[in-house]
Amino acid sequence: MNAPIPNPTPFEASVLNAYAARAEPNEAQVAAMERFARQRLPHRRIEGWKWTDFNAALRNVEAPAAAGDAVIEPSAFAALAPLEFRLVDGRIETPLEGMPEDVRYGVIDAMATIPDLETHPIVSLNVAMIRKALGIEIGEGVRLDRPILIRHIVSGAAPAFAQTLLRVGRGASVHVIETYEGAGTGFYSHLCHMAVRDEGRFHRTVLQETGAGAALHAICAAKIDGAAHYDQTTLTSGGRLARHETFLHYVADGASARIDSAALIGDERHSDITTNVLHIGQGCETRQAHKGVVRDRGRSVFQGKFHVLQGAQKTDADMQANALLLSDTAEANHKPELEIYADDVECAHGSTAGALDEDALFYLRQRGLDEKAARALLIEAFVGEPIDGVAHEGVREILRVKTADWLEADA
Amino acid sequence: MAEPTPSAFILEPEIIERPNMLNIDNLHAGVEDHDILKGLTLNVPAGQVHAIMGPNGSGKSTLSHVVAGREDYEVTAGTVTLDGEDLFDLDPDERAAKGVFLSFQHPMEIPGVQTMTFIRTAVNAQRKARGEEEMSAAEFLRVIREKAKLVGLDDAKLKRPFNVGFSGGEKKRMEMLQMAMFEPRFAIMDETDSGLDIDALKMVGDVVNALRAPDRGFLVITHYQRLLDYIRPDAVHVLAGGRIVKSGGAELAAELESSGYDQFIEAA
Repeated sequence: MNAPIPNPTPFEASVLNAYAARAEPNEAQVAAMERFARQRLPHRRIEGWKWTDFNAALRNVEAPAAAGDAVIEPSAFAALAPLEFRLVDGRIETPLEGMPEDVRYGVIDAMATIPDLETHPIVSLNVAMIRKALGIEIGEGVRLDRPILIRHIVSGAAPAFAQTLLRVGRGASVHVIETYEGAGTGFYSHLCHMAVRDEGRFHRTVLQETGAGAALHAICAAKIDGAAHYDQTTLTSGGRLARHETFLHYVADGASARIDSAALIGDERHSDITTNVLHIGQGCETRQAHKGVVRDRGRSVFQGKFHVLQGAQKTDADMQANALLLSDTAEANHKPELEIYADDVECAHGSTAGALDEDALFYLRQRGLDEKAARALLIEAFVGEPIDGVAHEGVREILRVKTADWLEADA
Repeated sequence: MAEPTPSAFILEPEIIERPNMLNIDNLHAGVEDHDILKGLTLNVPAGQVHAIMGPNGSGKSTLSHVVAGREDYEVTAGTVTLDGEDLFDLDPDERAAKGVFLSFQHPMEIPGVQTMTFIRTAVNAQRKARGEEEMSAAEFLRVIREKAKLVGLDDAKLKRPFNVGFSGGEKKRMEMLQMAMFEPRFAIMDETDSGLDIDALKMVGDVVNALRAPDRGFLVITHYQRLLDYIRPDAVHVLAGGRIVKSGGAELAAELESSGYDQFIEAA
């Protein structure tokens, strides 16, 4: 197949080379590549990407075809005895033993398309480039005590793609920890599709801690059935670009979600939290809190949208985004959005940005805390809400330690 | 070991008069070229409670913040020493460790920080700075429960985020709880009585009177005489126009209550 992209950037050209070098693509992949050829890598002139310009960041990156050398250290979550899966530069490594019988997993065919996301350029690219996905299914009524850990390890400079498919059965409950690690400098794309069946409870903790060189895009599209609950905390320290997207669809009545995030962004790192919650069923409830702490020349982007369709009466949704700017060159961009077609709903959003409260700082110092300790206490308190929301005590503690480590590194 | 020579037992002559604990001399301070304190001189000996009264805008809160080390104020002249040590050489937290305590007129709320955790962190930060051993969790719990009872705060309040959703009166009780916990060398109480009912005023009096000691001093800043019904001061000073314009005994407070501050505003 000829390169369908006119005047490709060096990055696009290397992606096309990788695409061409693969075995015969299937019909869905050809269609996805055709979509991507029209859509191209997103850039700032597209609404929704104006603060996170992947094209500008990657344009002149000629990505080598070879994968990197992954050095895999034990996970920070190892102490919680999780069921561990690894995707190393997109290669799936599944555990060979130790899995409970009620967790089904395996390497399965990748998704041909994701309804509602066909207009998303990076989803198109992901679908075009990838053949196999990691699939995990939690059976009906299974309440898994041990968390599942899915480690995405970015080690190389080559573009890498990963897909995961998760199914949480009716009335089942599970905590999935998803980490992004490694010193790689390449583009990494992860597409997660999941379904939470009736009365299921899905807890997801996302920890983004790759090196400063990675350009990361991770998107999770979740379909949430009646009376099911989706519970998520994202803790990110950004990257060259690091965008985490969450698309939730409440397809039936009485579903709920908590989607919180904390961004701790320093140096010249960039973080983007983008979410879209589509309320279709009646009486669904959404709680969202985003806290961004930005220092040096860091940038924290938050774009949150609640979309409430006409039939989604009695929706109760609240979104708050707060940024703490610790330097004159730190930047926060917030875009909270409500699009409501139902008339009997309670929806609210708020957004703030400011510096540390000098009065509070003086109060703490008068009580004996030195400047560093006082600042740390106020910042930890500021980012506390998303972390306090994590139901799993062990996971919560590790996120607190990660926060303290980040603050300590400011010294 | 050789017997000590008798000369080793020759003592310094006994000091009859205690030295001043807090010494404020000719203090000029303000914000952005605008002097608020204009040559304030005030000495508080150890073991005494002094009250400062004065009209609004006379510089009472500026004085308390400058002594505690708030950096927003520029000190253009004068000195403040505690036990002979220059406070201007010390950061606010170092002053706290030396025993300076300020009961804030408007205490802060700190969402996300549990009250007990915060007070314990502060107690131990001060102890550590003084080279003392940290207070154990069990000991801390025992002491804070006892003091909380004294100031009228229940256990549930101690487990809540610091001051969040507390009434004005509860926040003042929290200030008194901290004062009781830190056992400071020198406490400045900045309008602790404002917004308090009679029961709470009595509680503040009880806390101060229980803490009164030969090696501890207090500066009670107030607008009204009523708090001084519960805390009998050793001296009362009138602050107007940025300096002390009159000093006297406890009876001066009652006099001010009937005659008002107008005479001093004009004089200043």
